Amino acid sequence: MRYQVIKNSLLALFGVLIIVPCSIVVMGAFKSDAKIISEPLALPDQLNFENFKRLFASGRVWIPAKNSLIVSISSVVITLFLASLAAFALSRLITVTGKVLFLLFSIGLAIPGQVNIIPIYLLFVKLHLTNSLLGLVLVNVALTLPISIFILTTFFRELPKEMFEVANIDGAGLWRNYRSIALPLAKPAVGATAIFLFVICWNDLLYPLMLITQLDKKTLPLAMIDFRGEYLIQYNMIFTAIVVASLPMIVMFLMFQRSFIAGLTQGAVKG
Amino acid sequence: MKINNKSHSKLSFRLGVVASVFAALLATSLAAVHAETTPVLGQRCENEGSNTGISSTSLICVKDKAGKLVWARVKVNSSGGQPQPAIRVSGGTIEFHHWRGEDQAYFDKIISQFQAANPGTTVKQVILDSTSYANLAYSKISTNPKAAIFATMRGAQFKQFYDGGLLRDLSSERFVTNNIVKSALTPGIVDGKIYGAPYQALFNNPLYNADMFAKKGWKVPTNFTQVLAFCKTAKAAGVIPFAWPAATRGNGGQIFNSFLMNSAPDIATLTKNIADLEAGTTDLTSTWFKGIATKYQQMGDAGCFPPNVSGYNDTVAPSDFALGKAAIYPCGTFCMAAVTKVNPDMAGKMKMMGLILTDDKPIYEGITNNTFILSVNAKASTKDQQVARAFMSYLLQPSVAQYYGVASSQHTSVVNADYSANVDLLNTSDIMGKKLLLAPRFLFLLPQAKVRDVVEDALIAAATGSNLTTMLADKSKIIKQNLGK
Amino acid sequence: MALPAFLIYGFLYLYPALSNLLYATRRWDGVNPPENIGFRNFTYMFTNDDVFLKSINNNLRFTLFVVFFQTAFSLMFATFLVKNTKTNIALRTIYFFPTILSSVSVGLIWISLYDSNYGFINALFKKVGLDFLALNWLGDEKYALLAVAISQVWFHTGQMVVIYVAGLQQIPQELYEAADVDGASRWQQFKSVTWPMALPTTAVVVAYTTIQTFRAFDLVYTMTNGGPQNASQILVTLIYTNAFAGFSFGYAAAQTVILVLMVLAITWLQRRTLRLDYGVK
Repeated sequence: MRYQVIKNSLLALFGVLIIVPCSIVVMGAFKSDAKIISEPLALPDQLNFENFKRLFASGRVWIPAKNSLIVSISSVVITLFLASLAAFALSRLITVTGKVLFLLFSIGLAIPGQVNIIPIYLLFVKLHLTNSLLGLVLVNVALTLPISIFILTTFFRELPKEMFEVANIDGAGLWRNYRSIALPLAKPAVGATAIFLFVICWNDLLYPLMLITQLDKKTLPLAMIDFRGEYLIQYNMIFTAIVVASLPMIVMFLMFQRSFIAGLTQGAVKG
Repeated sequence: MKINNKSHSKLSFRLGVVASVFAALLATSLAAVHAETTPVLGQRCENEGSNTGISSTSLICVKDKAGKLVWARVKVNSSGGQPQPAIRVSGGTIEFHHWRGEDQAYFDKIISQFQAANPGTTVKQVILDSTSYANLAYSKISTNPKAAIFATMRGAQFKQFYDGGLLRDLSSERFVTNNIVKSALTPGIVDGKIYGAPYQALFNNPLYNADMFAKKGWKVPTNFTQVLAFCKTAKAAGVIPFAWPAATRGNGGQIFNSFLMNSAPDIATLTKNIADLEAGTTDLTSTWFKGIATKYQQMGDAGCFPPNVSGYNDTVAPSDFALGKAAIYPCGTFCMAAVTKVNPDMAGKMKMMGLILTDDKPIYEGITNNTFILSVNAKASTKDQQVARAFMSYLLQPSVAQYYGVASSQHTSVVNADYSANVDLLNTSDIMGKKLLLAPRFLFLLPQAKVRDVVEDALIAAATGSNLTTMLADKSKIIKQNLGK
Repeated sequence: MALPAFLIYGFLYLYPALSNLLYATRRWDGVNPPENIGFRNFTYMFTNDDVFLKSINNNLRFTLFVVFFQTAFSLMFATFLVKNTKTNIALRTIYFFPTILSSVSVGLIWISLYDSNYGFINALFKKVGLDFLALNWLGDEKYALLAVAISQVWFHTGQMVVIYVAGLQQIPQELYEAADVDGASRWQQFKSVTWPMALPTTAVVVAYTTIQTFRAFDLVYTMTNGGPQNASQILVTLIYTNAFAGFSFGYAAAQTVILVLMVLAITWLQRRTLRLDYGVK
């Protein structure tokens, strides 16, 4: 009995710890600044969209949102295409080259991507890839390839070998095997990985911070950092920006809750 | 402060009315700014030498024939010649990088007028808060040729951009030489050539809540002993004496100017002390610096600063000051807009004091600064440089500068701009009658992270009660280490 | 088929990572020509750079704190929530929620909560009479790192709960039943069944959390940017500052090399300890 009481209160406490800050933010987005400080937890007097209007009027929402979307989607699609190809090849080719390649990719798992900030910066300045969405996509692809290849290789290795052997007798090449057998089977794994990658790309700050200085090319997290500087004395505007920037993720989360949790968790486990 | 209350309130009432009329006019059209309305002309003023602007047709407080102090239009400064009209340009898109988030709306307005006058052109503001701008603007702009026009801070940052070859030579641009007050140009000059046009003429001195001072019967402290005594009085009355935003590097360091200004016998010695600090030939344990740190500590001990001052940022400080929780906000003219934004009732209630932190006869009584140095990016494309030039010439139009100054509560260095429509600028104009020093904090010339940041960190540590001897030795070591990297 | 992936990865990951080694031997401000100074950057940072040593120390303390509490909390909540009841699934979803936010959002949320004068946390402590807990969270050298670490735990515990739940659900029910027959208390059950059986999952959680703490740049940059007085400076933020505000690119590259070595050493150590442990049971 005592165990139940302790357990339930701990669970409730942590739930409150998550919910309260989030509600302060959501409700704060509908309040004046003074109200946020004086009564953070009170419901807003009315649904006041003033802050949202101001935010959108500032012209700082659509362009960064569009950029984030372009960068995240392209990064995910390209990464998954290249990674699934490579993973399939690596899972089939049990040769020395295959093993060496796999080992090389594994290095990328052990080393956090942050270590490349200086060389990437210097390289991109030379290649004129700063202030370019393509540059961000390339960085994202390079950074997320190892983990994606790792996850997908593990998946492909678990597929029964016989399936491909039959196909081989039929004279199907590696490419057809990949296209018509492996890829359709891998749909759930690829889907979960896609979500995992999308969240990483959507939320990344470090590389955009370093590579993007031009207004038209900024991504959402970067725009929010600017926002902190511009509205430094207005928590209500900051909260509104948080709500707007998180909304797409929240909607996706509510729609694909299961794959979301699976994707983000799998990334950790396999990594 | 010998003014009788009646005439003072009448004056500020009039100014209030005029200000709102002015604002309305400005809202409809910038051209209306040319109007020759000088409502205060001939009115009484308080302190001889008070000045409503630094440009050639400023209003100055002078003695009239009868010996009464009145506002008069006096030529105080001049530029290199007849002010030039704006250059025109057809088409092109550029970015304007700066750190004044507070002024975004006013620049937007100016930009839209500029774009209307030059069809096909687009100017986009890119704003970073001043702390980040000081550190990162060079990294960001040097890789971004679209940043065709940008502002730099006087001193280290301007030098860094010059060293990086990013500044276009503006020496032959008559809209610079003729539209900017001659004396204000100095910070933008290297080896006799003009590389930047300092746009803002700022006064980096503490603001005080004159209303509160009057109600409580407090006198503005005029020496160090009085400062300490004032802190005790104010604290006892439940008011934060100095709302020092120590946690925000940019504005947290403004008060450092006041500490520096009388710390050495003359400006040459002060300049040398700072240069020695950056050369590593002296350190923070020197008598000179220890003297400064000790004063921070004494003020901390006297309760001058808010509790938890090391976490007290420039979000909270203007808000506390605006809401009457703090008596003094050590910042500058450029912080007044943030205050009235929190509480519009503060308009007309702020005044400026020279913060004198010595009991000896002060050498300087206050701080001024010519900054927000506008430059054209020499690495931008030829076409973008043309757009940048045109936009700069537009910013340097007296009517535009006047609109900007009145709207954002900051003076500019542009000639023929009159700020008397802004009640806060008028109220703080006393400072211009004092002996002012160009903000010495910008005598630090190395990238800020190497020396100045550590120095200012040390002063925060001093104010929060660290053991001075060990702390200063530790910080000196870090500076030495930074210099060797 | 693996070639396109390898080309991009090689050119934009391996090659830059290796070129760190070259830059590390240079003194370079990014403008003037670089100067080859051999190993001086390395000797300098270990003999002459208090801020660097402080950052290593901060980084280790940050990692230790986050790894310990994030693992402990997530294991605890996972044992509570292991059954797939409706309430449990709902709670797991709530706990998981912060994971989908960006570090910048989380950082901004916590800045407002921690605000020493107007923040919710201090207001709450003062209201319930715990004034001594109303600290200067992000402004005081003593608490800034702790404050950021708490936000990090808040941010990612839910994700680890889900991983643990998945791991705990693999434990055969018979083991618990056998323990029940033996009359084991809940604590004994946990000690003799849950903990040893969950060790592989723990290894995953610990390893992932560790890497996460070394990657905490976004959160630290948003919340404190390393301050005050370098109290929350971790290696990645220091490297960023040295390169992009201090213009010491070579020096920052040398610090990167040390960062890599540290991460590899810690990962290796963890794998060894946890695997050994696992092997004994």
